[in-house]
Amino acid sequence: MSAAAESVAAREGKDEAKAPKPRLTERARADRKLGWMLCAPAVIVMLAVTAYPILYAVYLSLLRADLRFPGQREFIGLSNYGTVLSSKLWWADVLHTTVIAGVSVALELVIGMGLALLLHRVVVGRGLVRTSALIPYGIVTVVAAFAWRLAFSGSEGGFVPKALGIADPLTSTWQTYLVVIFAEVWKTTPFMALLLLAGLALVNDDLLEAAKVDGASAWQRFWRITVPLMKPAILVALLFRALDAFRIFDSVYIIGQNGTNPKIETVSVLGYNQLLNRLNLGLGSAVSVLVFIMVIAIAVLFVKGLGTSPAAGGDE
Amino acid sequence: MSGRKDVPKWVALNTVVLIAALFPVFWILMLSLKTPADVLDGRLIPSKFSFDNYTTIFEQNVFTKALINSLGIAVIATLIAIVLAAMAAYAIARLDFPGKGLILGAALAIAMFPPISIVGPLFNMWRSLNLFDTWPGLIIPYLTFALPLAIYVMSAFFREIPWELEQAAQVDGATPAVAFRKVMLPLAAPAVFTTAILVFIFCWNDFVFAVSLTSTSRAQTVPAAISQFPGASQFQSPVGSIAAAAVIVTIPIVIIVLIFQRRIVAGLTSGAVKG
Amino acid sequence: MTLKWWAYNEPSGSFTAAADRCTKASNGRYRIDFNPLGNDPDTQRQSLVRRLAAKDSSIDMMSMDVIWTAEFAEADWIKAWPKKYADQVKQGTLEGPLKTATYNGKLYAAPANSNTQLLWYRKDLVKNPPKTWNDMIDQALKLKQAGTIEIQGAQYEGTTVWFNSLIQSAGGNILAAPDKAGLEPAPTQKALQVMKRLATSKAADPSLENQKEDQNRLAFEQGDAAFQVNYPFIYPSAKAGNPKVFKQIGWTVYPRVDPDKKARPPIGGFNWGVGAYTKHPTEAFEAASCLRNEENQRGFALDGGLPPTLSKLYDDPKFVKQYPFADEIRTSLKNAAVRPETPLYADVSLAIYKTVSPPGAIGNVKAMAKTLQDRVKLALQSKGLL
Repeated sequence: MSAAAESVAAREGKDEAKAPKPRLTERARADRKLGWMLCAPAVIVMLAVTAYPILYAVYLSLLRADLRFPGQREFIGLSNYGTVLSSKLWWADVLHTTVIAGVSVALELVIGMGLALLLHRVVVGRGLVRTSALIPYGIVTVVAAFAWRLAFSGSEGGFVPKALGIADPLTSTWQTYLVVIFAEVWKTTPFMALLLLAGLALVNDDLLEAAKVDGASAWQRFWRITVPLMKPAILVALLFRALDAFRIFDSVYIIGQNGTNPKIETVSVLGYNQLLNRLNLGLGSAVSVLVFIMVIAIAVLFVKGLGTSPAAGGDE
Repeated sequence: MSGRKDVPKWVALNTVVLIAALFPVFWILMLSLKTPADVLDGRLIPSKFSFDNYTTIFEQNVFTKALINSLGIAVIATLIAIVLAAMAAYAIARLDFPGKGLILGAALAIAMFPPISIVGPLFNMWRSLNLFDTWPGLIIPYLTFALPLAIYVMSAFFREIPWELEQAAQVDGATPAVAFRKVMLPLAAPAVFTTAILVFIFCWNDFVFAVSLTSTSRAQTVPAAISQFPGASQFQSPVGSIAAAAVIVTIPIVIIVLIFQRRIVAGLTSGAVKG
Repeated sequence: MTLKWWAYNEPSGSFTAAADRCTKASNGRYRIDFNPLGNDPDTQRQSLVRRLAAKDSSIDMMSMDVIWTAEFAEADWIKAWPKKYADQVKQGTLEGPLKTATYNGKLYAAPANSNTQLLWYRKDLVKNPPKTWNDMIDQALKLKQAGTIEIQGAQYEGTTVWFNSLIQSAGGNILAAPDKAGLEPAPTQKALQVMKRLATSKAADPSLENQKEDQNRLAFEQGDAAFQVNYPFIYPSAKAGNPKVFKQIGWTVYPRVDPDKKARPPIGGFNWGVGAYTKHPTEAFEAASCLRNEENQRGFALDGGLPPTLSKLYDDPKFVKQYPFADEIRTSLKNAAVRPETPLYADVSLAIYKTVSPPGAIGNVKAMAKTLQDRVKLALQSKGLL
């Protein structure tokens, strides 16, 4: 998601403030109808494929539903939730997910900001730098995950263990964490950089020039002018990336579950294992619903708590 | 402006970015060019170069079929997404109607949805509807998650288009149809095109749905197929094949990014950064 | 009509050859279409169970790892074999493999190939092959070079295999009944004690906790170990990979836990099952039966190195020539320790290998035995996230 959110919605706000109370002319009525009709197909598809399944997931989570025992379906209320919430594995995975998400996003913010500054100001080889910065974005996540895994894996021909003279990193939990984080950061920093770049592009150059003339150093200009002006963009970028990072699946599946030793599992992978390997739809749905709730909680935290407004933006 | 004297600094920075961004790609390329016997030798650069891994993956049907599936599904999903999103984006950018904000908000919410939360129900639903392991079975979720992205990018672009040109053309005597075709379409084309690229990349990339809702070469896409590559024997790992497949799947993306980097950046920053 | 057969792609091509043979043998009534599954059992299972849960009618015959029988049967994903074909299959088949294909007294699959582990050792380093685990550890500790024992210890099915054989060799059982935990204290503790002693001694490979069959093979083949407990695939591999070491390879049956109790070696392998939603059950049974007949099993054995399930093939001179340990395999299969037959096998196995691996961390054997029993009980109730 991009700063498109900000600019479009911000302009909505402006429009609606300007337009007079609707007199609902013929034209306006026709416009309305047309508007709804044009939006309808997209909205229907989006809602049907998300709203219905999530409700179905809630329903399934209240049953004992295991596809390996087709005859034994029964309503068991919140029992599945009890099992999940009292399971050490669940909380371990929540921890794993939070750590990976937190560290990745923090790193992406810092490196992404640097990259955004570079993309903004670069004078020489702009096209080249942009292209190379975009390649991690375009690469299939699974491919990237494999590249990182195969580089670090001692048992699969990785060159890093040999080059650094260390034992197989993928057999140690904390080292596998690192590899997963590297892979995630590498893959999504460009996206973060672009989100920040949109905000950067709206920082008024004149302000910066004036400050420079007044003797402010680059560091001061950055922290006192650029960052505060970018705050809404930064918060939006953080929100999107945090939500994204929390849902992490691909890299963890490929790197952390490489079969030799499943060392790292995040909540999404846990849900997947319950649903599609153990075919325990009841438990798996309970996990899915809990993940959904947590994602919403994070979003609410950002929007209400930090004042992130996906609808506001660097436009004001 | 940061003058010419700073060129070495920029070159240095650019080089850092280049290396950081491209090193993993370089590594996987090198890995894929190793002979099958050397694949586990832990060297960065192969001691002997060979294309064996590439011939292997194409000998087995699995990869070829996966490529076809990926391509077909991504193209179809992209086309449908573009059409639906264009309609909605046009409405949002040009027309005034209540619920606009709500729709955008809902789209945003859906983009943030954890796919794992609907994978279970979808699997169960597809089971009964016979959509498991089929193209439509993947196209539908892809559509759903690509639409928010498409709507946002396109509506941002459409807002920039001077629609008055259409009326001006009509005033000059063109029929609405001609005005639309000769004036609007060319103006809207970049938006549609860029959105198509972003959506395609999204579909090409997906792993969660592919690995949950498919299981055979009937509909399995490349990311899922790579993660399940057979090795040389029951106990051996298919590193060489994975590397070769990874390279093949990366090439089109690299080409697309190379050619369209300007558009992609513009799209992802909703036009804030144009060139 | 076409019958679709789903199995992993045996590298030597013996499976596709079998498919062709049986197509011809049908005299035009059907054609067997071979469809490859992934190479490791977990991937194969993932692929199959989802489609069977989706009532896929395109699965006519499938290859099933021996541990899936109970699960698939209980979930109604495979058909029980009608008497006519079941009798055909049972004739001449070894006990161990037959047991793995049976559930609730009915035959649910046709044993096609089997596998078991032998104790391999270096004849130049070991004069008298040990009979028990403790003997082996003692001998290894005395060796000046290559004093290591290769065995699988990672957190995966292979370690459950090890534990299962140990506890059955000690006279106990993981399950007392398909829905009741066994794991009586005495045999459980004995089994854990063996694992612990090996893992914490100098005779253990330093990577034990991450090793699977292939890592063991590699280490032994490179001459780094004096003993190896593994499947016969290591033999042709060593022949091609390290002729010097190959010349020194000796073998004997699986080590005992108690000197006076026969060892219960592991049993693996594949059975052919018939999908429950197939549109042509009669032909599918006929085809599956053909796909594991004497001629085809000979092909699997000679070309693919897969031990047969028909007893008489173990006397076949060609087989014995390539696999001089044929008799040891047959004996092992007769005494094999079949893994727990419960539809919840996957969960039970997970509970076990997540507890006993890494074996170096077993700690207090009594406490660990109790923990193990508790976890298996939970797994049997289909409770708990795994």
